[in-house]
Amino acid sequence: MEAAVAQVTVAPVTVAQAAVAPATVAPVSAQPIRPDEQVGQAGRDGLADLLAKGTVRSGREASAGSGALPDADLLPVLPALRDLLPHGALQRGSVVAAGNWNLLCVALAAGPVASGAWCAVAGIPELGVAAAADAGLAPARLLLVPGLGPNWAQVVISLLDGCDLVVLRPPDRPPPQARRKLEAAVRRRGAVLLVAGDWDGAQVRLRITAQEWAGIGQGHGRVRGRRAHVVADGRGGWSRSQTRWLWLPGPDGAVTAVEPALSGAAGEPALAGTAAQASTG
Amino acid sequence: MTGGDARDRRVLAVRCPAWHPPSLLARQAGQPAVPGAGPAARAFEQVVSVVQDFCPRIEVLRPGLCAFGVRGPAKYFGGEAELARKVAGAVTGLGYDCGVGIADGMFAALLASRDSREPPARIVPPGGTPAFLAPRAVTVLGEPDLADLLMRLGIRTLGEFAAVPAAEAGNRFGAPGLLAHRLARGLDPRPLATRPPAADLTVQIEFDPPVEQSERVVFAAKSMASQMHAQLAAGGLACVRVQIQVICDNGEEITRLWRHDGLLSELAVAERVRWQLDGWRPTPSPGEHDEGITVGGISLLRLVPDQLVADQGRQLGLWGDAVVSDRVARAAVRVQAMLGHDAVTQPALAGGRSPADQAVFIPFGDTAESAARPPRPAGRPWPGRIPPPAPATVYPVPRQARVTDDSGSLVEVTGRGQLSGEPARLSIGGGPPLAVTAWTGPWPVTERWWDPEHACRKARFQLVTVDGGAWLAVVQDGRWLIEASYD
Repeated sequence: MEAAVAQVTVAPVTVAQAAVAPATVAPVSAQPIRPDEQVGQAGRDGLADLLAKGTVRSGREASAGSGALPDADLLPVLPALRDLLPHGALQRGSVVAAGNWNLLCVALAAGPVASGAWCAVAGIPELGVAAAADAGLAPARLLLVPGLGPNWAQVVISLLDGCDLVVLRPPDRPPPQARRKLEAAVRRRGAVLLVAGDWDGAQVRLRITAQEWAGIGQGHGRVRGRRAHVVADGRGGWSRSQTRWLWLPGPDGAVTAVEPALSGAAGEPALAGTAAQASTG
Repeated sequence: MTGGDARDRRVLAVRCPAWHPPSLLARQAGQPAVPGAGPAARAFEQVVSVVQDFCPRIEVLRPGLCAFGVRGPAKYFGGEAELARKVAGAVTGLGYDCGVGIADGMFAALLASRDSREPPARIVPPGGTPAFLAPRAVTVLGEPDLADLLMRLGIRTLGEFAAVPAAEAGNRFGAPGLLAHRLARGLDPRPLATRPPAADLTVQIEFDPPVEQSERVVFAAKSMASQMHAQLAAGGLACVRVQIQVICDNGEEITRLWRHDGLLSELAVAERVRWQLDGWRPTPSPGEHDEGITVGGISLLRLVPDQLVADQGRQLGLWGDAVVSDRVARAAVRVQAMLGHDAVTQPALAGGRSPADQAVFIPFGDTAESAARPPRPAGRPWPGRIPPPAPATVYPVPRQARVTDDSGSLVEVTGRGQLSGEPARLSIGGGPPLAVTAWTGPWPVTERWWDPEHACRKARFQLVTVDGGAWLAVVQDGRWLIEASYD
């Protein structure tokens, strides 16, 4: 344990900063940023995994005291989503676009909220609170601003002041100037802007490319879950697309990875699966 | 009667003979003097204000006569005798003759004040009221007809009247007789209804000429907030909310209610005034607000404490889980300044069958109990509720839809839950029809059948369309609605 902590106190800063495009680096650290080429891919993955789980924290973070995620560069996400994101977490100061509003946005927000962050949901009056709670997004640390009004960029900047994570569905496509101003606010506050929609400058984009609903047939059964094929791609060090099959939601409302045992012979669940096969969850 | 009750019933009455009680003649003619009206009442106000220095909650019975509960003030001023002496001294100091009486109950106190010719006051000891009343003539009851009747029956004093069993008094003399009987026994016909001082706790400032700079308004708000806090504290009051009203010289008015809970410092109130002004006239380029934003001529700023409650201090939760951090609260309140109090909400799970019932949205800063409709508790069985998993998208207003079968006619559900045809196509909000690839239902629900106003019968369906959407649909009164989407 001693050795692990000692390693972590130095390494995460360099690892986290190295793989991010220069424009998005949040200058939180007082140390000079030094890309560390010596850390191998395996080392990064293991470290990111530990960081994301929250079992290991950097020394800076630990000394910051009791507050929820005071200075960590990363917001941990649900285990099922780790493989889809750079460093297995949401990078503070970044913008993540998650396609049209759906449970994927809730799932992305659930991890940070579970670890103590506050989340604001702006411009989405139809958020299903029960589904969010089942996915792990606790309503107790949630602020809802259903209607944003005409001056919505200012509202979002105010929300970024208080919350570590803002889920936003922009009422209209922002002009480039307003977009840059919002991105600057995100970087300045070290928050994460999760856009339910498209965003030109997003560091990471996620989308559902294929899905099937399990448990429901022609006049019988009921919806028990959805298997969704999620594709993530981004910029810089994350330009290679990552894909995963997720239960979105699973039978109990939780978001989990689809077990390989349930998948088809080709390593993916068959899209034309019957209700009987799908309802095993 | 317990000792505690007896102490609570101690009443001090102040009578100033300078204001004549309405004459018996006038009352018989059906022209009772309206208490608390006319020039006499206004002149008596100075006596009331002097007496109010001893106790803020005093009851003015009519001009020339007022009373208050004596328990608290007596403790503070060093005993009933001392209190009575001080009250009498203060009123006499104004130049009015007065009598002061203390007894159990209003009626006895008034009688005591009447015959307190020996200075400074007549004090009937606790529990001595029946003995004090017993020798008095029945005419003091103020019911001439009843007194006349009692005299002719040979009952001349209150003591003799009190000896009549209460039930007999009620049988023989009716409701007025029963009331008079209670008085004769030294009981109260009704509890003393004190009212809080009608002092106006509103604080306002007029700007003449109207000011253009929001900075000046904010600066004035700071001193006004301290004035309001001082007034509230003097009355032992706290306000739950504070209303900030800004009126412009062109008559435009902007009013916002802010959660206060005794928590807002002067600076915090001033800050809210600033937010309110900023939110009302947002600068075209957000982010740059130095001092000196022009907000138009403001002619009046008013702070109104809302929902006054007795200040009992505040108890924070022992475990800090529900504590909203300052940073979050500031952001939320700031957005409330821009969009209104109800625009920022915190969701909470609630009980119910439909997805819309399963969550309530509480404006930030309010508690669930203060919501217009207190939420039904979550975690109860709710038979017939929609099965998990819960839909991720719940439309605040259900969307109109049309579900047709293969032949293109609308799918209907009979009272017995029979379908007219299998759902084949779904069209939402007049959109293009989508082929239904899977469906299930109907799940009939009959809610609140005992309440004709809110009773409803509906049938729910789950529909999966070819584009990958999964919908929760409901049929009610022959109409299809989309309540939620599982997407």
